[in-house]
This record gives sequence, structure tokens and C-alpha cells, in this order.
Amino acid sequence: QTGAVLFLLVTVIVNIKLILDTRRAAYEEEEESAQDYDDDMLNVEVPRHPVNKKVLDVEVYSSRSKVYVAVDGTTVLEDEAREQGRGIHVIVLNQATGHVMAKRVFDTYSPHEDEAMVLFLNMVARGRILIFTIKDEGSFHLKDTAKNVLKSLGSQVAPFLSWRDMWTFVGKKGGEVYGEKHAKSPALSTWGDPVLLKTEVHLTSVEDAECHWPDTELNRRRKRFCSKVEGYGSVCSCKDPTPIEFNPDPLKDNKVFDVPVAVIAGNRPNYLYRMLRSLLSAQGVNPQMITVFIDGYYEEPMDVVELFGLSGIQHTPISIKNARVSQHYKASLTATFNLFPDAKFAVVLEEDLDISIDFFSFLSQSIHLLEEDESLYCISAWNDQGYEHTAEDPSLLYRVETMPGLGWVLRKNLYKDELEPKWPTPEKLWDWDMWMRMPEQRKGRECIIPDISRSYHFGIVGLNMNGYFHEAYFKKHKFNTVPNVQLKNVESLRKDAYETEIHRLLGEAEVLDHSKNPCEDSFVPDTEGKVYVMFIRMEQEADFTTWTQLAKCLHIWDLDVRGNHKGLWRLFRKKNHFLVVGVPASPYSSKKPSSVTPIYMEPPAKEEGAVAVPAVAAAEQT
Amino acid sequence: NGAAFSKGRGSQSGQDSTRWHVVRKFLGLISSHNIPVYLIDPLILGLVDKDIAQIRSSPDGPSPHCKYFCAPRDFTTFALLDKTWKHEVGLFRTAEKMGFQWLKILNKDPRLDGMDDLSGMEIPLHYIFKLASHAIHLVVFYERSGNYLWHGPLRLKQHMDRKFVPFRKLHFGRYPGAYEKPELLHVSIDDLKVQIPKNPSSFLEEMSHARFLECRYREARAFFQLYPDDASLDAVEFRKKAKSLLHLAALTLNNLGVKFWLSSGTCLGWYRQCNVIPHSKDVDLGIFIRDYKAEIIPAFQKAGLPLKHKFGKVEDSLELSFQGEDDVKLDIFFFYEEDDHIWNGGTQAKSGKKFKYLFPKFTLCWTEFVELKVHVPCETLQYVEANYGPDWKVPVKTWDWKSSPSNVQDNGVWPVDEWDDVIQIY
Repeated sequence: QTGAVLFLLVTVIVNIKLILDTRRAAYEEEEESAQDYDDDMLNVEVPRHPVNKKVLDVEVYSSRSKVYVAVDGTTVLEDEAREQGRGIHVIVLNQATGHVMAKRVFDTYSPHEDEAMVLFLNMVARGRILIFTIKDEGSFHLKDTAKNVLKSLGSQVAPFLSWRDMWTFVGKKGGEVYGEKHAKSPALSTWGDPVLLKTEVHLTSVEDAECHWPDTELNRRRKRFCSKVEGYGSVCSCKDPTPIEFNPDPLKDNKVFDVPVAVIAGNRPNYLYRMLRSLLSAQGVNPQMITVFIDGYYEEPMDVVELFGLSGIQHTPISIKNARVSQHYKASLTATFNLFPDAKFAVVLEEDLDISIDFFSFLSQSIHLLEEDESLYCISAWNDQGYEHTAEDPSLLYRVETMPGLGWVLRKNLYKDELEPKWPTPEKLWDWDMWMRMPEQRKGRECIIPDISRSYHFGIVGLNMNGYFHEAYFKKHKFNTVPNVQLKNVESLRKDAYETEIHRLLGEAEVLDHSKNPCEDSFVPDTEGKVYVMFIRMEQEADFTTWTQLAKCLHIWDLDVRGNHKGLWRLFRKKNHFLVVGVPASPYSSKKPSSVTPIYMEPPAKEEGAVAVPAVAAAEQT
Repeated sequence: NGAAFSKGRGSQSGQDSTRWHVVRKFLGLISSHNIPVYLIDPLILGLVDKDIAQIRSSPDGPSPHCKYFCAPRDFTTFALLDKTWKHEVGLFRTAEKMGFQWLKILNKDPRLDGMDDLSGMEIPLHYIFKLASHAIHLVVFYERSGNYLWHGPLRLKQHMDRKFVPFRKLHFGRYPGAYEKPELLHVSIDDLKVQIPKNPSSFLEEMSHARFLECRYREARAFFQLYPDDASLDAVEFRKKAKSLLHLAALTLNNLGVKFWLSSGTCLGWYRQCNVIPHSKDVDLGIFIRDYKAEIIPAFQKAGLPLKHKFGKVEDSLELSFQGEDDVKLDIFFFYEEDDHIWNGGTQAKSGKKFKYLFPKFTLCWTEFVELKVHVPCETLQYVEANYGPDWKVPVKTWDWKSSPSNVQDNGVWPVDEWDDVIQIY
């Protein structure tokens, strides 16, 4: 704890000093030159690599605890951190300039990472320089397919790589081999000796390294991008490059055309690339309103932003971990409203979301509610409980007491008057979304969500994310792919109208057989399009014991409570609308026939080392 | 229709039809890219203003001779609202094909300047399109928080051609400027279709004192390094109230057409920390006594701010105080101009003692404060130093308005028979 705070303090001070120094220079220049229109600000561009050199010296080191790669004496990779960076590190250099175009590590000790590596290597353009080095262990799950790909690149060792071998390799894709070194592990319990490969790489001319696309503004952007980074597939294909401008159909009467869109990003440029493609393909998108906020001075995410001709803003990281994300959110939201002072709303997106084709259409049809209904907190594109087997109707909206995030609309006055002034300070180390969900902030207000989500969370590498978690909670989420969905009965989402609507629904609903097991499929009859209701035990407003067990057996979000409205949950089962009412806490309990006993489901005995809920509940956002 | 002003005819009366031709080409260029510009050239607007009634009544009428765009000048100035166009490269390619040389002046985005540690892309502030002996100066205006338009200063970077045009003769760019969003009018002058501000004379008036000061964000950050900001709930609440009180006061005074500026503690807060000082407990404004209007008091009362006290009289030491929400007070000090200084007065209610606060002469500049476009003294440092002394950078929690200010002077006592008039407490 103390260490973290100290680290934070040092970071902040160093950053501030840096900023002060640079700002000082800028200010002084302004004051002096106010009279004569001069600007003495130095604007010298230093090339990152000597460009005219014909030969590059490359050093590659592989060992149990450390790897590094140096190009012409400049270290471009150095990893000696403990318990991370295991596997095969790959670096791609531009064959004409020697610039690093991509850096990846594939933990081929673990399953499926070799497949990702093959995918990546196949995407790299012919002629690029590839550098490989193993840290710790890289062979355990390195399957034959991957070994064959490495062999096809010219490696003689790859087919025989085994447990805890050390290995380095430098070669040109589809061309010559510049060097390879290998050290076998003598025994299961030990590692191979460290190996250091020193070699020379001959650079080619710039023309040879580039594609010859027609000279248009778009292709200039493409060229700039493709000469800098690798690993984005067909966007850099010489023969048949994928478009970078999408021109989706405009929306008729688009109410969100002038609403700024803030894309919150970190250093996951491949995610950002995927996300922006889907965003720019959504009908009614207005690229001029999009700003990408990058948490840190990372180049590659900025390259992606520029590829699509969007504007990007970099943010000096403040604080650490969750608090860093939280500070980045605050800066991004404040900046968004500064840049678009006329805006009444902002759309907030994250870099690991796919955006539905009718995302803006969905917002355009619902945004007036957020403006007019004071009891609303947000509109979100995400339904926490909207899985493949529980969401059905793309035209249906709900009111929920939880704030899902993952593609949402924020009202400016909520931000400016309430949230911004008391946003958690860096030392709080809070999750912004958990903070926003706290009763002190939410004040009983609700969010509007669709039954079928208009965003899809694809990120699996994140602060609180891992493959298992994603598989369990996000993969089977339903995502709307139908364009121009006409939302149903939007006015009924207003505070009072919604109560009328719920009462109507409950009046129409058929009470299910409470003697059956609600987890069984047979609990719901094999019908379609009907409305069913069940009653569960819920002693008071915060008693979610039975709900949590039900959510668990229905395979929906059970890590905390989501999607509730006054003790009512709405979802679909077998294409029937399925209502769950918590009795007696819910005001809708009165709809329960006296003959029905609310179902109670007991929580399982506490397991040792069970996952702590607060730690993972935030995962969704990051 | 360009044939109307041939070179031969133009040159007869010392006119410059080159200018007219360049402007016409430029208007063709920007209309082919759907970029809505409007004319802000002060010299032309000055001429236009004289004929405004006629121009308005016949917006499409042909001109008998070139009256506005043929006066020989180095520049013609147009404005462009940033948000009305896409920054597309195509414009510059077309411009080059038409024979224009162009220059783009970029600088940092002031809308991100107040933000901790954000670095955005630089934004274009000025463009210059040059053809033959004439140049078009295109000033880019940005919308900012506070519902106003801003243009940046014009500063040349080192590698730039200093002789591209005679920069010193430009009408815009010496300082940044702040403007209201103008209402525009489509007109045809000298057979050229252009947009102009609907009311050229008020635009020119606005232009004459449009200078804008950016808050000193860097110094404010340094200040908060030394004296961490008060983030308590009380402070948050007070700032919120002070902000809404200031917004209400600005609305009220602007509606009356009364010019005001941030004074005393509010001005210090802006200058020192770019924010409301949380322990200041009131909002302070200054107004020149020549701008005093009797409607001020009823207007504030109508806005829901009852008069708390009134000290002095219009002829001497006038000071008004209005009661805002929950103990937040709005103090309005009236300033009296002398030959070599400016002063405002103070009155002690119980003793009838008068005080005088002296300031060096100042002019007014625009700035942005709590999402509001407001005036501050351009010579802010002298103003703040006069009021708070050389140690104004150090926060002081106990402040006595009768003795603490560096510029306070005793100014006698109000005659007792005037007390009912000059000391009114509600």
C-alpha cells in the first residue's frame, strides 16, 4: 500500500515537472513574441532511426529470466520482469527503415497461443524482418502447425524446439535468414543456457517496402500507417486492401448526429482498430464528433486513430491501475465537453467493444427520454442479462436500476453539476464505474437498456479480464445485427408510463408452476411469444439470495445484481417473456396469487478461496 | 460575371481589380468544397456598413462599379467556423491547382489547455491563401464553453516563411479574440455573393475590444502543487453555488447591456488558480460608474437575488450587495475613473467610515471562467497586486476588507444626515 502511494506520488511529481518544463517553454515564447508574430518554439523533428544506413546491427538475447533485442544499439525490447513475458517474443522491423512495426509475445507454454502466433505471422507482409526470442519456456504448447510456419520462415531449429530450450532467430519473411541460435535444455528441471545472437540485416529501398496504391488522400493515410505498424491484416494488403472509409447509410432525422463520441482507449491498438471499424460502419455515425482518448503516450493507438482520419488525444497517465482508468475517464469526459461546448450529451465507448449497426439509430430514438425524464441516469447499449438464450426482442427497452456502461450516453449536466466536481481523486484507487453505481451518485435514477445489446464486449486482455472470465460471462452475449430496428413504444419508458406498462405485463402474465425446479428447462412451457411470471423470495430490497442462485443456474450474470427494476427482472426464456418478481420486497408482489409460495434457493456452502465479488464485478468495464 | 471589373476599368481610378479577382477565385474555391466562410474584413465591413440598408434591400442586385473589393489592400479577411467543415486535404489540392499558395498556422488547442496532462493534436488557427499580389486571411473560429467563439493568435514557427505576406498588417492574430456567435446575412456586393455579419457596425465594435486572455493554467497547476485544492464537500458545494450565482449575474447584467468584470477575490481566483476560491464566500464584480443603470437593482431582484445592502451613492463610493442562495453573496463594486488611476469605495456600516481602494488604470479583456465568457482587467497582474500586494500568490483565510488590501485608504466619514441614503441594509 505504502509502496503504491509512493510510486504514485513520484509518478505525479515527475509528470508535473515534465509538463511544467515544456509548458514554460511554450509560454515564454508566447509572451515575448506577441508583438511580432514569431514563434520560437523548437519544432525539430528527430528521426527515430538513422534512415540512410544500409545495414542494421541486430542483437537478440534469449534466457530463462530475460530477453532483449537491440537494433543498431537501441534496445527495442527488454523484458526481465518476473513471472511475466513467458513464451515467444516476436518483433517485426520495416525492411527499409528498420523501424519497429510490431512487438508481440505469445505465451506458447499455454494452449492456443501458438494459433494466435500463426495468425499474426500470416498477417505480416512479405519482406518484413522478423525477430524471435524465447523467454523462460515457449515450446510446451507449440504445435506442429506453428512449428511448420516457423520452419517455412527459414528456421532450422523450430521443428525440434523442446522444453525449456532457449532460441533466437532473425529472418526476412519470404526471404533470407540472418541468423539463428539455440541452446538445448539439458534436463527437465533446468533451462538451456542463455543465447545471444548478433547479426546484420541489409535494408532495402523504401520503394521496395511499400505497396503501389493509387495516390488518394485515403491511400496516403494507409501508406503512412502500413509503413509503421504490422499485424492489421488486409488493410495493408498491396493487392486488395480493405477499405478504411465506410460511408454507412445516414439516418433519417438523426437526433444524435451532433452528439460527441468519446472512445476511451489504452494500449490495445488491435482492439481499437476492430472497434473503430465497427463504429465507423454504424449507420448514422458522424466521424467528426469522434475523439479517441488514449491513456498514455502510445504511438500505435494514435497510428490507428490517424489511419481512420479521426482525432485522438493522449493523456499522461496519472495514478495506477483502477484509479488510472478512473482519472483517464474523467479527463476524457471533461475534454469532450470542452471540445463540444454545445453538446448536451456524450456517447462513451471503450476500445474493446463492437458497435451494432443500429447503435446510433437506437440512441436517436431514445435520447429525448434522457433529456426529458429527470429520473434517468443513462442510456446504455448493453444489457447485462442479454445472453443468446435470454434476449429476444431487438425493439424492446427496459428501465434498470443498475448502470451497465459498455457503450452509454451521459448527460452533460449530470457530469458537470454532479459527477465532475466530486469525481474520485487519484489516491482513492476506485473504479469509476463502481463509483458511479454507488447510491450517493445514482440517487435512485435508472438507465434505459435494450433487450438485445447494441454493443459487444470482445476484449479478453484487460485489467480485470482473462480468457476464462470472458468465456463465462461475455462470449454468449447477444448482439444486434439487424439494421434500422424500430424501437417499440419508447414513450412507455418514462417513469410513470413504465409502471403502467409493467402492471399491464404482469396482468397479462401467466403464473408458472412453482412446484417445478426453476433451473430446469421444463419450468417454462414449450411456447413462443407468451409472458410468464415467477415469484422468488426477496425479504428486503437488498436480499438477492435467491436471485443470485437463479441467475447462476440460468447462466446469466451472477457476480453482482444487474438489470433489476423495483425487485423485478425481465428476460426471455425459450422465446417467451419471463418475469421474475422478488416477494415481498418488490411493489409488484401484490400480483402474486395467494396460493403461490415464492421460490427460495439456498446459496451453496462457501467454498474456500471463492472469487471475491467486488474484485471481478468491475471486470466488465475494463 | 467577372468581366464587369476588367483590369482596364479598375486601374483608372486607382482601383485594384486584382484583389477582386482573387477574392472571387477564393469564393469559388471554398464554395466548391461547401465551406461556409463569412467576411470579417474590417475595412470592407466599414464601407459596407455605410450602405447596409441598400445592400440589405437588394441582396442580389448588380453593382454598377467595384466599390468594396477593389481598394488596393494586401489582405481580405474571412472567418470560418471550425465545426462547419471537415478538415479535408482536397481543398488545398484544389487551391494549388487554381494557383494559390497557402500557409496553415497550427497551434495547441486551448480547449484542452486547462486539462491536466492532455495533449491533443494541434488545431489550425489561421490559413493564408496567396495569389499574385493579394492574400486571403482565413481566421478559424472555435466554439468554446461559455457559448462564444474564439480565434487564436497567429504565431509563426521557426521554419515558416516570414515574408510569405506582410504579417504585421493583418487585422486578426496579434492576440486571440472572443466573439459572440454572429448572425449572418447573404449579400451580393461588387457582384460577389458573400456572407457578412448581419450587423457590421456591432461586429466592428465587438472587434475593437475582442482581445482574449487565456487562464494561466500552468501557474494554476503550480499553485495547486504548493497548496492542494480543497476537495471537501463544502468546497464543492460552494463552487457550484458561486458558479451558478456568477452565471445568473452575468445573464442579468448582459441583458441590461451593463459591462462588468471579475473583481477582488473572484478575479484573484481566476488569475491564481483558474477557479473559484472555495473559502472566499462571495462573488465580486466590478462595473464602471459610467455604465451604472438604475435598472440594475430591480433586475437582480427579479432574478431572485434580493438587495442585501447598498452603500454610497452614484456620485461617490457606490457598492451593491445581493443575497444569493445559502449565504453566497454577490458584491458589485462601482469604479470611478480619474486621470491617472481608478478607484472604488467602501463603507463601514456601523461607523459610517469611508474607504478608497486605488488601482492603476486598466482596460478590459475577455476570458473564460467557469464556462462563462467574462471580462477581466487585461493588466490583471497590476490589478491583483494593487489589491492583494506582492504576496497575492499565498492563500490567506482571514481577510479584513478594511485593512488587509494593499490599496486601501481612509476616505473620511459619511455625514450623519446622509446615512439613511448611503448606508442601506436589508
